[in-house]
Amino acid sequence: MENGREKGRSPAVTTMWFTILVAGVLVVFLLNVGVGSADITVGQILEVLFGKADPSDKIYLIIWRIRLPRAMASLAGGAALAISGLLLQTYFSNPIVEPYVLGISSGSSLFVGLVMLGGITFGFRRITPVFLFIGAFLGAMAVMLIILLAATRVKNIVTLLIIGLMAGYLCSAVTSILSAYAEREQIAGFTMWNMGSFSGFTWLHIKIMYIIICPMLLLAFLLAKPLNALNMGDEYARSMGIPVKGTRYALIFLSSVLVASVTAFAGPVSFIGLAVPHICRILFHTADSRLLIPSSILGGALMASLCDFVARNIVSPVELPLGAITAIIGAPIVVFLLTRKEKL
Amino acid sequence: MNAVIHTDHLDVGYEDKTVIRDVEIHALKGQTICLIGPNGAGKSTILRTLSGLLAPVQGTVYIGKTDIHHVKPDDLARRMSVVLTEKLNVHMTTAYEIVSMGRMPYTGFFGHLSKEDHAIIRDCMRTVGAEDLAQRDYVSLSDGEKQKVLIARALAQQPSLIILDEPTSHLDIKHKIEVVRILDRLSGKDGLTVILALHDVDIAVKCCQIVMMVKNGRVVAQGRPEDIITDDTIGRLYEIEGACYNSVLGSLEICNERPPEVFVAAGAGTGTPVFRLLSRMGFGVATGILYENDVDYAVAHSQKLTVISEKSFTPVSSKQEAAAGEYLAKARFVVDSGFPVGEYNQVNLRLLHKAALAGIRIFSFRSAADIARLFDGSRSVTSVASAAQLQEAIAGLSACRLETDFAQGKV
Repeated sequence: MENGREKGRSPAVTTMWFTILVAGVLVVFLLNVGVGSADITVGQILEVLFGKADPSDKIYLIIWRIRLPRAMASLAGGAALAISGLLLQTYFSNPIVEPYVLGISSGSSLFVGLVMLGGITFGFRRITPVFLFIGAFLGAMAVMLIILLAATRVKNIVTLLIIGLMAGYLCSAVTSILSAYAEREQIAGFTMWNMGSFSGFTWLHIKIMYIIICPMLLLAFLLAKPLNALNMGDEYARSMGIPVKGTRYALIFLSSVLVASVTAFAGPVSFIGLAVPHICRILFHTADSRLLIPSSILGGALMASLCDFVARNIVSPVELPLGAITAIIGAPIVVFLLTRKEKL
Repeated sequence: MNAVIHTDHLDVGYEDKTVIRDVEIHALKGQTICLIGPNGAGKSTILRTLSGLLAPVQGTVYIGKTDIHHVKPDDLARRMSVVLTEKLNVHMTTAYEIVSMGRMPYTGFFGHLSKEDHAIIRDCMRTVGAEDLAQRDYVSLSDGEKQKVLIARALAQQPSLIILDEPTSHLDIKHKIEVVRILDRLSGKDGLTVILALHDVDIAVKCCQIVMMVKNGRVVAQGRPEDIITDDTIGRLYEIEGACYNSVLGSLEICNERPPEVFVAAGAGTGTPVFRLLSRMGFGVATGILYENDVDYAVAHSQKLTVISEKSFTPVSSKQEAAAGEYLAKARFVVDSGFPVGEYNQVNLRLLHKAALAGIRIFSFRSAADIARLFDGSRSVTSVASAAQLQEAIAGLSACRLETDFAQGKV
């Protein structure tokens, strides 16, 4: 790296990539609504979207009840996971961190498992989506707190990662013990959920998801400046007048809520949180959170939608587990990025 | 004059463990205060406490008249900035972006940089001579370049006080000097107060108005470098063994306390390189006759060589001449460093002449013509022109001696 070549980070290049990402998200969104066992044209989609179609039409039902919620869930879910990954990577100043790796997703799974399999409803008669979310959030926070508690004693980041991994394994173990005791019907549903999928979303789910995720993404934007400062390390950040402690609390809260909101309804989805921020760093050649946050939101939405599209259509009518697709697409990307000459 | 930063009964350390007691600092505008001392003495702990990154174990740090921990963080950031030792792990970030971070205390919620901010950033990069690095990736820079960029970043905070922890370690000599000159200029011209820890005693002595020596949990001395730095204090501070610091020359000389076996006729600095060469080759060295104001005397003294000397500005006494004559007569060989000859050191030539007549091997840094003139063409004097030639000649001599020893049945 002695050549010191100038890095083209012109506004034109940035604009180009943003345009490509936005276009990509739109195209894949339309594909997700349009392509499937019944093919639907763009015109029909628009008719449904703008309320001009006949509500009793079969196509209307497919779009409105099945495909549209699913496509919207993958958009929000992908964005949430990508931002959660970005925030955690900044928190731990380590590029290989993400909610799945740190066991936060597994914590969510365990608590969702307790709700779905253990029938722990705390007096509620039915399992409501809000209840699922609260369970997932508690699980995410529980693992997060374990890691943070460890962090007050252990300063070594690798040790922390291992603690996170172990917490994840423990949660998975308890979850599988729960499964052994659960009834068969419950297990089938839980197993499907536990493999990660954006299917089966109702409009109520979507509403809750968007109500939670959108403000959180907005809050992430507000953290852009302190996030940039944290890239220089805590002491430099403090010396520049940044409230490091507050920023760190906010990071933990935001990333936990974001992970929980996805995990509660779609199950644990791996690699999006890891791969997307990386790809954005390289595309935009920057570590500036003011660019990485919007680009990760778009990138996350795009990757999740794309993976869901592949999972649904590649060996249709069989549907592949989403987690498998995200891993198959995400893992090689990460390996490729890490083995490039230009380290992250 | 009001202090930019001062302390009151300050004990520094981590949590309840005091590392250094009674740190007293009173830094005025434009002053450079330098902490020196061995690794692990607690220099960084002091600096971190002064910069507010570490809470004092006891006592108070005042910025102006306010307790540092009562100053609002962004207010503090506009008055003080730091350059730390920890390595920055920032990828995909240009030098310009690093420097622009220094504007954070001034920018708004999203950190948007105004035209004025950009002008200040460019100005700071120019001040440290890093304007050409602006678009380079920070991680691709050399250590020296990185340090300059970090100093520019600290300057971008437009502070009145800058605290630097070991800003010259890991740097090559060119960058060391560059960094120190930048700091010197900042404190002199711009009235910036600089507090720093340094490894290099010689740089500290020459560039800082106040030096603070830290050792074994105590500030052992503090004051103008001229007042507190002596050959002894530095030796004691770093517990240097086998080497001596010469505060006048600012040089560290390796001691050679072997009993003298060779003699160097020296003077006016011509002897210094010869001392170093012979010491390296493992010879015990005696030298003379040197005046006490001769730079060769200072070096020979620091190296703990055997020195036959005379008081400055007085003719050489016959007693000293006799003493030198004794060492010459016993010497395995003699080196004539080619010292300039004047009225008062004729005696050295006389001694060499006598030794030449007695058949002692002499290697002289004078030309063959001079040797012929000065030593009447004595065959025991050989002309050498460089350290390499001298070393070769000495090696040849040892081989010769080995042969003679062999012939005499000693080996």
